[in-house]
Amino acid sequence: MSNLSIEPGSTTAYHTGEWRQQRPVYRDKWPPCGQSCPASEDIQAYLALASNKEWEAAWRKITERNPLPGVTGRVCHHPCETSCNRTQLDTSINIHGVERFLGDLAHEKGWRHERFTEVSQPQKVAVVGAGPAGLSCAFQLARRGYPVTIFDAMSAPGGTLRSAIPDYRLPKSVLSGEIDAILALGIELRLDTRIGQELSEQSLQDDFDAVFLAIGALKPRSFSSIDKSDHSVMSGTDFLQKINRGKSLSLPKQVAVIGGGNTAIDVARCARRLGAQVTVVCSQDRPGSHHGHADAQMPALPQEAMHAEAEGVRILFRTGVRRLVRNGQHLSGVEISRVDQVHDRQGRFNPVLFEGTETFLSAGLVIFAIGQEVNKSGLENLMKDGELGVIIGGDAAGKPRFAATAIGSGYQSAMSIIAYLTGIPPVYENHQKTDVTYKDLHTQYYPLLPRQDELMTEDRLSDFTEIVKGFSQGETLCEASRCLSCGVCFDCDNCWHFCPDAAVIKKPNGYEIDYNYCKGCGICALECPSGHIDMQREVG
Amino acid sequence: MDTRDQFRTNVLTSGHRACAGCGEAMAARMVTDLIGPDAIYINATGCLQVFTTHNQQSAWQAPWMHSVFANSAAVASGVEAALRARGRSTPVVVQAGDGGTFDIGLQCLSGMIERGHDVLFVCYDNEAYMNTGVQRSSSTPHAVRTTTSPPGRLSEGKHHLKKDVISIIAAHHMPYAATATVAYFPDLKAKVEKAMSLKGPRFLQVLSPCPLGWDHDAALTVQISRLAVETGLFPLIEMEYGDVTGVMRLARQRPIEDYLHLQGRFKHLFGHQNDNGNVEIRHLQALADARIQRYGLLDAETEWTTASAAQTERHGRGGYSISAVKQEVSS
Amino acid sequence: MKMLLEGSHAVAEAVRLCHPQVIAAYPITPQTHIIEHLAQMVANGELSSEFISAESEYAAASVVLGAVATGTRAFTASASQGLLLMTEVLFNIAGLRLPVVMVCANRAVGAPINIFCDHQDSMALRDAGWIQLYVSSNQEAVDSIIQAYRIAEACELPVMICMDGFFLTHAFEPVDIPEQTAVDTFLPPYQFSRMLDPKKPMTLGGGSEPDNYLEYRAALHNDMEKTLDRIQRVGSDFSQQFGRGYGGLVEGYRLEDAEIVFVGLGSLIGAVQDLIDQLREQGQLVGALRLRCFRPFPAAALVRSLSSAKRIIVMEKAFSAGAGGIVATELRAALYQAGLSIPVDNFIGGLGGRDITPSILEQIFHTSVSSDAAIDCRFINKDDMSHAEGNATTPGEGD
Repeated sequence: MSNLSIEPGSTTAYHTGEWRQQRPVYRDKWPPCGQSCPASEDIQAYLALASNKEWEAAWRKITERNPLPGVTGRVCHHPCETSCNRTQLDTSINIHGVERFLGDLAHEKGWRHERFTEVSQPQKVAVVGAGPAGLSCAFQLARRGYPVTIFDAMSAPGGTLRSAIPDYRLPKSVLSGEIDAILALGIELRLDTRIGQELSEQSLQDDFDAVFLAIGALKPRSFSSIDKSDHSVMSGTDFLQKINRGKSLSLPKQVAVIGGGNTAIDVARCARRLGAQVTVVCSQDRPGSHHGHADAQMPALPQEAMHAEAEGVRILFRTGVRRLVRNGQHLSGVEISRVDQVHDRQGRFNPVLFEGTETFLSAGLVIFAIGQEVNKSGLENLMKDGELGVIIGGDAAGKPRFAATAIGSGYQSAMSIIAYLTGIPPVYENHQKTDVTYKDLHTQYYPLLPRQDELMTEDRLSDFTEIVKGFSQGETLCEASRCLSCGVCFDCDNCWHFCPDAAVIKKPNGYEIDYNYCKGCGICALECPSGHIDMQREVG
Repeated sequence: MDTRDQFRTNVLTSGHRACAGCGEAMAARMVTDLIGPDAIYINATGCLQVFTTHNQQSAWQAPWMHSVFANSAAVASGVEAALRARGRSTPVVVQAGDGGTFDIGLQCLSGMIERGHDVLFVCYDNEAYMNTGVQRSSSTPHAVRTTTSPPGRLSEGKHHLKKDVISIIAAHHMPYAATATVAYFPDLKAKVEKAMSLKGPRFLQVLSPCPLGWDHDAALTVQISRLAVETGLFPLIEMEYGDVTGVMRLARQRPIEDYLHLQGRFKHLFGHQNDNGNVEIRHLQALADARIQRYGLLDAETEWTTASAAQTERHGRGGYSISAVKQEVSS
Repeated sequence: MKMLLEGSHAVAEAVRLCHPQVIAAYPITPQTHIIEHLAQMVANGELSSEFISAESEYAAASVVLGAVATGTRAFTASASQGLLLMTEVLFNIAGLRLPVVMVCANRAVGAPINIFCDHQDSMALRDAGWIQLYVSSNQEAVDSIIQAYRIAEACELPVMICMDGFFLTHAFEPVDIPEQTAVDTFLPPYQFSRMLDPKKPMTLGGGSEPDNYLEYRAALHNDMEKTLDRIQRVGSDFSQQFGRGYGGLVEGYRLEDAEIVFVGLGSLIGAVQDLIDQLREQGQLVGALRLRCFRPFPAAALVRSLSSAKRIIVMEKAFSAGAGGIVATELRAALYQAGLSIPVDNFIGGLGGRDITPSILEQIFHTSVSSDAAIDCRFINKDDMSHAEGNATTPGEGD
């Protein structure tokens, strides 16, 4: 019939969704930062929380995978920042700065880790090694109700984090604080206990249902040269261990450090702080140079090498040691040459020196920092292949020797141990998500805003106090807000604003598409800044 | 009433019959939700009226009336006079297309402005008579293909230039006239809010791409409206009492081809052999350059640029008048 | 209070008494004095109204459309070209069922342009869906305006009061302007049922389809027909309260035993009545019927009043080009429909302000009675007039 006035909103009886040939679907992607994180942190998620000032939630998001954010925020090589899509827009997010801020804030506020369950599982797990891998594994198991005992040969926990990383990079208080928070979950820690000495392999297998071996790679690789004298020669790990134990060392005026890894750089910078003139002899090229493949570049973090040079460390690139030059027992220096190739045909590290390029480098002490190996002594039985209930992780598993890798390994091992103990295979949700590349983003919606880097202390060489200052809350907020949120909704409202059909409904937690009305125009997908919306053809 | 969304009123709600990707539906939804349901809306004949009231159903959730094509400004004058007589301050808003603004409705609009009626007149400018099947209007830009300005052996589309309606309107010495488009929501929002904060006749010209008439992919509506601005073809400006008081600076100027290429209505201009078409492309570029120069679009001191105004905000831009909906939900 | 007023002034007084909150108009002769008086009243504070000087009649009609839809009483007036410029909007007002009241100061329609009276303008709008009342005096104009608001508001349909330009609008006559309190009693405050109001949002003027358009339009016709009763009742209510009446739909004069009946509209009826008196004195059984309400067409009332007539003479000041007199045609149809075959003579005259003198009327009478066949659409042209003034030739013979 004819109505002189029409009811408001009465078109809702007409479902324009029937016109649709394709439908928009909200779908979380797995951003490159999280994909590249060796600890599998959900970086986008915690940056989003931080950008909303939800500091504690952000910290809890990190610690789902990494209980040591204060540590990794300082020492991690952050591949997340290298892979960050934002690099192609302006500069990557300073993710480690945010991570460090959250770790430090958690310590300051006394936030405590929570167990997922109050139920105590009947199976007990032994973790050998209180380094990052062992701590990470123990943390994940303890949160899930497994009684865990950590054994460590040293008298303080932390592994190489404690023994190899100098204070100016990682203050011991930060490390201890985070370890204490982990142990507070009810983890038993037995120090000064070396398996095979204080405790037998057998009793470990008898008393525990599963064993995680995270013994690290602590045995320094020796310098294969004709010079067998120990005089005026040290390994990098020994040197750092002494310093980290607070031993006072007196150095000769000139010190040569052999190696190009982070240990070499740490050693060099510590030696500088002890007053020596330090030269690093590195077989590879300067980091970031385009010479050769990645392995032909100095493996130390570019940032660390830069800091070292800024502190007066001289680095000789593409240089190798031919021999130690002695006057009797007395070391007068090393003979060095230009390096031809770094790796041999099998890809092994095996620098070849050019004849006729020899020069003399004066040094009263030579410190070799050319890598470490796993020391299996006392664990020969447990480390046999296919030993049931034994999992090897961290540096000892031959993974790249980064803290984050060790932490990731600890998590994966914990999951494997649980799978072994329960018989239920683990599920890794994030890995089912699709990638999101820079071209999937609609960058006109993001403000251009350059990355902020942390400030450095003025006087670095007088002692071992931390040289990199942390972010303020404001800086953290700003940096977290720069995140492009690749593939993940950040509530920008674009889909909601731009839908011509009121088919996008805003809810207190996100959006919902009302397919009764969506005509499938595709505007929401095209205008989604972060590539969170996919268009799918309607079937039938 | 439809109360699905607790964060906006949906003054123009679902079930309307606009084509998929309709720029006018998008623009009208933004504008009316920014104003809210506590207003009286008068609509000229046109797409918006046709697709929102059909088969005795209405997509409007506010008092809304359509009379005829040419008279919306005069009807609104009467509504406003009646409200004034009754001591009410309910806002009055006219919505019309470019036909109902530039052409057939211009006289009533001029009268409304001259008499100083407290009315916001919103023109959803889709640059042709779309409702009747894409015929040229005085808003249709130069060289565009429409069904009444077809390219042929003797023609490269519309011969005449797009009418500079905003200058005509602003010349009435009226409080506020501005151009906007859907791509820059913060800008549109600021302009609607400014318009609503002022008394007297106010005018908004909102460029609203039409996938059907402009012959572009339905998903491109926002992109094309952004390009119209970034090329300089559609300057975003504000005028108060006849003077230009604000422009949106172009963070960068895009070449005109970036805009033309996406739209079938300019397709006839392209091709290697098409000398006349190339002349028209250069002509359009010159028109864009002239507008950029006229309004200082590359060097003006502005609050926003096309880059900053396009940016989204984390955790929502919000910005709709939702009090009425909240009351509805709670009652 | 009885006053000697110009017709336009009297109309303005009547409008003032009805408290329209919005008045919109565009000046056109001979309507101008009406709106000038209203503008002055508003300027003097005698009438609390928004006076909108529209930029065209088209806009003026649109303004009152909007005003009425927003719950106020409104008023406009126009004529001739202006009324036709309103056409689209007037149809729309009726379709929207808005109780708008307007005055048409009847004037000829160009070309050639002519500012003087005939009924072509309002007659051209007979299909618009407006109630049309043609008044015969300034007093009736005043009274009909007051009635018009009551009819319009009761029926939710627009009413056009048609009054002869110049003959009435510019004529000074003694007029009784009713007391405000009396008008307030007759015309209580009004609340439009479909008002534009955010508290109760509605959509007015939405689209229709082949599926439902016919029902809308048929309902308009049916509702228009129903207003006949209302116009009649409002007329009798008015005469009960004010002591003056105009017969509601039609007004008869000496019809009781009339065999020959003049039918006409508007102010012409005064001259016709004089002729009736004169012919009656001569023993002719003549009478007159004034069609007050032309839309809706009061077919039943006409048939009732005219059933005993032997011959009917329709005098019109408008025509439908190519078809002839409009009222005569409709009257013939009504009589035919009622089974009556009374001859209806149709004279078209007084166009563009030309006077229809008593002698012309007399000539028409004689022409009519002396013709065997019914006379169809005869224009009273200049020759007829000179003949009528001088000789006693038949009008129209010169054609």
